[in-house]
Amino acid sequence: MIFGKIKMIITVLMILGISGAGIYVMKLRADNAILKANQDKLETAITEQNKVLEQQKKDFTAILESNKKLNVLIGTFKKDLEDLDKRFTKKNRDIGKLAINRTEAIERIINKGGKNAARCIELASGAEHTPEELKATLKSEINPECPALANPNYVPYQ
Amino acid sequence: MYHINKIFVLAIIVLLTGCSIGGEKKIKIFSIEKPREKLDYPMPTALQLEELKWIIITSKNAEEVFKKLEEAGIDPVLFGLTDKDYQVLARNFAQIRQKLQETNNLLEEYKKYYENTGNSE
Repeated sequence: MIFGKIKMIITVLMILGISGAGIYVMKLRADNAILKANQDKLETAITEQNKVLEQQKKDFTAILESNKKLNVLIGTFKKDLEDLDKRFTKKNRDIGKLAINRTEAIERIINKGGKNAARCIELASGAEHTPEELKATLKSEINPECPALANPNYVPYQ
Repeated sequence: MYHINKIFVLAIIVLLTGCSIGGEKKIKIFSIEKPREKLDYPMPTALQLEELKWIIITSKNAEEVFKKLEEAGIDPVLFGLTDKDYQVLARNFAQIRQKLQETNNLLEEYKKYYENTGNSE
């Protein structure tokens, strides 16, 4: 009778032990699946982060290049204005007195300058360059009102 | 009686859980990122300016200039500027041209940045 009871207790304990082990293994497997899913998510997140960083790097480079280009452009504006002033005042030049003494010549120069300035405005508004403007490399061929804009291939003499 | 009770309990269980046996289909929600439509305006049309002629008049040639105008059938009237104001006008035009160029360049840069590199939101 006692042996029978002991046998029964041992059997119950064994069944409980096996069930417990089974449940534990199942829990481990579930945990493992969750960890694997987490790992996948983290890897995807890292790949995406890397992509974002790469894109940011490209954007910064593009912004820097664009800034550089605009700064160069603003630099040429300053120079163009200085050159324009120089043309009126070079060597104490007085355009009024010159116009009195050499009326026709100055009229010709002013009309040519006006035409060049109008062409500069057309180019600034997006007009296409003519082949002559693109080919201009000599000082005599260029549009002096806006050399950098009108004649992109012209290199000023030093 | 015992069997009837069993069947009754079983029926209740089936009735209560019947709809959930096999599971309901879950609704899946997808989020597809659709890029914003490009504005894609063409660049502004370039200006085509008309040519104008400057006439210089001095106390010496004034009569001759007006005579020429009359002969050409043009009203003998001129809108004048002093030499200093002419310089100011030239400078003002240069500044307008530069602003136009700067704006056009900015527009091109924006277009290039947001439309060429696929950065548009």
